[in-house]
Amino acid sequence: MKDFEYFSASSLQEACSLISQYKDVGKVLAGGQSLITLLRQKLISPTCLIDIKGLKELDYIEFDKKSGLRIGALTTHRAIEKSPLIQEKYDVLSEMEKSVASVQTRNWGTIGGNLCSADPIGDPAPSLIVLGAKIKLVSAKGERVVALEDFFTDYFTTIIEPDEILAEIQLPPPAPNTAVEYMKFATIEAGIKIVSTSVAVTVEAGSDVCKDAKIVMSAVAPVPLITKKAAEMLKGKKLTDDVIEEAAKMAASETDPTTDVHASAEYRKEIVKVLVKRATKKAFEKAKKA
Amino acid sequence: MNERSVVGKPLPRVDGKAKLTGKAKFTTDVMLPGMLHAKLLRSPLPHAKIRSIDTSKAEKLPGVVAVITGKDTWGIRYGFVDTPNYPAEERPIAEDKVRFIGETVAAVAAIDPDTAEDALDLIEVDYDPLPPVFDPEEAMKDGAPQIHGEITRNTSCAWEDWGVARKSHSYTPVNNVAARVLVTYGDVEKGFAEAEYVREDRSRSPGTSHMAMEPHTMVASWDPFEQKLDVWMNHMAWELKRYWLHKTLDIPIPKIRIHKTYIGGGFGGKAPCFDYEVICGFLSRKLCKPIKIELTREEVFSSCRNSHRFDINIKTGVKKDGTIVAQHCSVIVDAGAYKCSAPVAMFLSHAMCDPCLDRKNVRHEGVAVYTNKNFNFARRGHGAPQMRLAADAQYDQICEDLGLDPVEFLTKNLRKKGDVIPNGDRLDSYGLPEAIKRSAEAIKWKEKRGKQRDKNRGVGIGINGMFSGSGYWPFASTAIVRLNHDGTITLMEGDCEFGQGPDTTYCQIAAEALGLTVEDVTLVSSDSELCPMNYSNFLSGGMFVGGGAVYNAAINLREKILRVASEVMRAKPEDIELKDKKAFLKSNPKRSYTFTELMRYHIQKHLGDPLIGYGYKKAVPEIEFYPSLSKGTGRFTDAYGFTASTAEVEVDRETGRIRVLKIVVAEDSGYEINTAICKGQLVSQAVQGMSDALFEEIMDDEGRVLNPNLVDYEIPRAFDIPEIEVIDCSDFEPKGPWGAKEIGECARAAVISAVVNAVYDATGVRVMKVPITPERMFNALKAQEKK
Amino acid sequence: MDSSKKTINVKVNGESYEVSIKPKMTLLQLLRNELGLTGTKQACMDNSCGACTVIVNKMAVKACSVLAMQVNGKEVTTVEGLASKDGKLSILQEAFLEHSAFQCGFCSPGKLMSSTAMLEELENPTEEDIRRDMEGNLCRCTGYVQYLEAIKSVVQKRKEGKI
Repeated sequence: MKDFEYFSASSLQEACSLISQYKDVGKVLAGGQSLITLLRQKLISPTCLIDIKGLKELDYIEFDKKSGLRIGALTTHRAIEKSPLIQEKYDVLSEMEKSVASVQTRNWGTIGGNLCSADPIGDPAPSLIVLGAKIKLVSAKGERVVALEDFFTDYFTTIIEPDEILAEIQLPPPAPNTAVEYMKFATIEAGIKIVSTSVAVTVEAGSDVCKDAKIVMSAVAPVPLITKKAAEMLKGKKLTDDVIEEAAKMAASETDPTTDVHASAEYRKEIVKVLVKRATKKAFEKAKKA
Repeated sequence: MNERSVVGKPLPRVDGKAKLTGKAKFTTDVMLPGMLHAKLLRSPLPHAKIRSIDTSKAEKLPGVVAVITGKDTWGIRYGFVDTPNYPAEERPIAEDKVRFIGETVAAVAAIDPDTAEDALDLIEVDYDPLPPVFDPEEAMKDGAPQIHGEITRNTSCAWEDWGVARKSHSYTPVNNVAARVLVTYGDVEKGFAEAEYVREDRSRSPGTSHMAMEPHTMVASWDPFEQKLDVWMNHMAWELKRYWLHKTLDIPIPKIRIHKTYIGGGFGGKAPCFDYEVICGFLSRKLCKPIKIELTREEVFSSCRNSHRFDINIKTGVKKDGTIVAQHCSVIVDAGAYKCSAPVAMFLSHAMCDPCLDRKNVRHEGVAVYTNKNFNFARRGHGAPQMRLAADAQYDQICEDLGLDPVEFLTKNLRKKGDVIPNGDRLDSYGLPEAIKRSAEAIKWKEKRGKQRDKNRGVGIGINGMFSGSGYWPFASTAIVRLNHDGTITLMEGDCEFGQGPDTTYCQIAAEALGLTVEDVTLVSSDSELCPMNYSNFLSGGMFVGGGAVYNAAINLREKILRVASEVMRAKPEDIELKDKKAFLKSNPKRSYTFTELMRYHIQKHLGDPLIGYGYKKAVPEIEFYPSLSKGTGRFTDAYGFTASTAEVEVDRETGRIRVLKIVVAEDSGYEINTAICKGQLVSQAVQGMSDALFEEIMDDEGRVLNPNLVDYEIPRAFDIPEIEVIDCSDFEPKGPWGAKEIGECARAAVISAVVNAVYDATGVRVMKVPITPERMFNALKAQEKK
Repeated sequence: MDSSKKTINVKVNGESYEVSIKPKMTLLQLLRNELGLTGTKQACMDNSCGACTVIVNKMAVKACSVLAMQVNGKEVTTVEGLASKDGKLSILQEAFLEHSAFQCGFCSPGKLMSSTAMLEELENPTEEDIRRDMEGNLCRCTGYVQYLEAIKSVVQKRKEGKI
């Protein structure tokens, strides 16, 4: 690794001030589970790191019936995985977190750091997007809230300004008659994801007609991909196997995956079909019971 | 000595406390005062002339102590095969040209690894690219770029040093052929003429990584006063490594000491001489400072030896009842830029398989071809896994074609215990029949084979044989067992410990012979200065040869103790028993003398002789040298281990993902000295075999490795392992220590075949190319649906 | 740029250390190079294999991917800290020994730390819990079976009230 200057912020305000000062040469360090690998491989060489890992003020999980869930950006993956509150009200997040990397990474890595690293195969982003997440970005100049689906712009690239810090993730209260299913496909259980999907299905109360649906995929585009046309095909319909299968095919056609050592683009599309079909079916079954 | 009290038990490993408390020293843990770190600059091109190298900027970087290039090491040669006909052509640093992406072109020694790495970026190399060739069949065509010109030695070759009278001469590869092999017996043409059914198939096995957990590392420390090199290194036999350091650096053998370190995994990947090892010793002597070279994981994946890439064309003729009457195998080994052990692998792919089944008339030919890629060495089976994939998958298909059952097919073609096989080896122990029977039972073969396709499930079977050491320098292992003053013993035997367990099993072997416990054994192992002549642990001869030497040394001491005891007790040696550090009369155990007393007596009455046992074992007593690799004639080994493996899989037809439900490994290892260690060896090979069948492949494009890291080269983790059952089908090997023979590398090949054949049973789709990734399975299923 | 050394205070295996380090130093380098605790291993340097697992404030983490600066004021346990100083192995170490749960031993320190942390957190882990929590520890030698058996034996002994 190359040398760098190091600051440990003792408050969010101090962190904002430091990153404002060093925005051209510095990076914010949270758990470092993405950042340190990049530093070691010399893919980035900031000359200054501002360590915010110690900021307790950004480490929380809070829920309010009206406004919903707020997760501090420095909440670890493990805390989300194990949170009784999240297991009860947003269990798809807890399920998804179980498959993020390994326990060791989840113990130290943060949700905020994960989102900022903008890895196109990242797990949390699709699940959060399908739940309607927003994020709060703060800087010395002020703060703004943006929809998470608008946060990612390209491979490993977000709209975050060099002097901004991701401070909070906000989720609306769980929608009634709704279930969310997360599914991934990898060659090895703990292996690199070839494709993953998060599907939310809302049914009309007391019926088996789909009122609303949202499908978000990862690893099939530079950013988490919302397959809007596929979701549209589900709305207002009874979700029979045929309907789901057609929507899954549509979802595949909306993706534009690449070929790499793990899978070809064509195969990824085939897996999209299967995963979306299976996840939608499961979400639908769960939503009917909800 | 009828009841076994120490061997045959799952005793705790003697290296356990050290390894589990962090005290165990591995090479990567060695840190010496004043130690420098070296890093290697590697070629980014697969084939190019080196016009010039400018190291001046690197030399000026603060913290850099030295930079060396091929000019400094010009002419140094080494290689796993270094014979009069095939002189070695490997070199520590590229000289006038580079032949693969990753070949070392310079080395930097600096005060810390980061500085050394920064200095690499400052070295300027001017390359003149040459056309590369990556496919072995392309490489053999006329007009293909020639990767090697004349290969010569300016010193004697290894075989000359090891006793062969012929002088080495130069060898100029034609059409990039590094070596050929041809083994024949019987009359293959006649066999095929008499066959009632003939099948010809092609299989492909990619290169795979050993992925031992400890990266390749060496520490060397040159003492200019003693003119001696102290070394800590990753290896699988210090005799061979020490020989190559002596040869390449021109240091007398006794002036090189390889110290004991635990080694973090081998599987074959750490046995041959490596460029970084010669460079490490060279730099240490040049600078008179300790030097450490620790390769990164990426370097291990892309520039260290991986397993051999094999293309096999196999043609088998059978009678309608399944009796094999002829087989013709043509093997192409994609050797890479240097031949290393490719000539051996070609031969071994025949030699390991020949003891298993009687194929009547055989022709096995092979060619090892140079290509502009990283080159290879043995990995746990060394040619056998590749061959078994071809053979077992084809046998499975033949059975399908003829309506036969694979288990019955294998059984029908078995050899018999006591058979002398065509090369002269005698099967004094042959547990394969039992292994086939019991592995089939354990997977519920009769209930399941051919009956679960509607559930996308299937079962398959594979087999393998493995030598227990062969004729390779120094051809024998030795051991010394000293009696200590308190009646315990000190065992000195050179084998190294890379997880396979000799530190423990050898203590058990010695303790058993003398009526002692493992706690009574002090072990001195793996040190080239403290231990007597050693054989190796990469020829599957650890237990049989090394353990055999220990056994002989312990028995030698036993006989000496019995003689003393008989003298003191005035009884016949056969009436005396040894136990708990005492010799006592069998008929009257109260009449006893402690070992301490006997030792004291012997020193006083026998001119100071304190009772030392000395033993040796030659790997193959009847041969003086290695069998001819190119002709495959002559004795090969004194004992073969055998495995039969069955597997059950379930295939998700929609995604192609294969889930292994169960693997059974039934093993004949002669006798299990430590049942827990043996179980570990078999489970290990079950998981590695499954992984080879389904996941592992070194992927390359235009000579560049595409997946040189653990994210992209995937290996099973705790969640991925299926139910694994191991069955002991040991058939006592009379020439082995307590009946034991090899266990470390037989099963892997059998498991690969079993999984591949199970996939066929589950889907009706035959895949003879591994790994069967989900995508490959998916595509194969789609192709099947179209038909 | 001022990349000069900074001082951190960290407790490792119960002993307090004050160390002056460059900010880029990882926890793994701190343990091995500065404190001479070579039990924790460096195997992939890629945040992939878990051989460098240690426990920081009760959590299993990979030392190769944590900056040493971030353990300032924290408590770290390494494999050297599992047994008692007078030579009594921990229950898990005993179980590993009894079940032959290791071969080359290079990944064992990491496995011990992961399973120690898991057993502190979970009273009665299921087979699935154990396999999932051990996912971060790659092993090439053993094939995992005896290692899982060792952990399960400790869980069983707990159930039976033996420990």
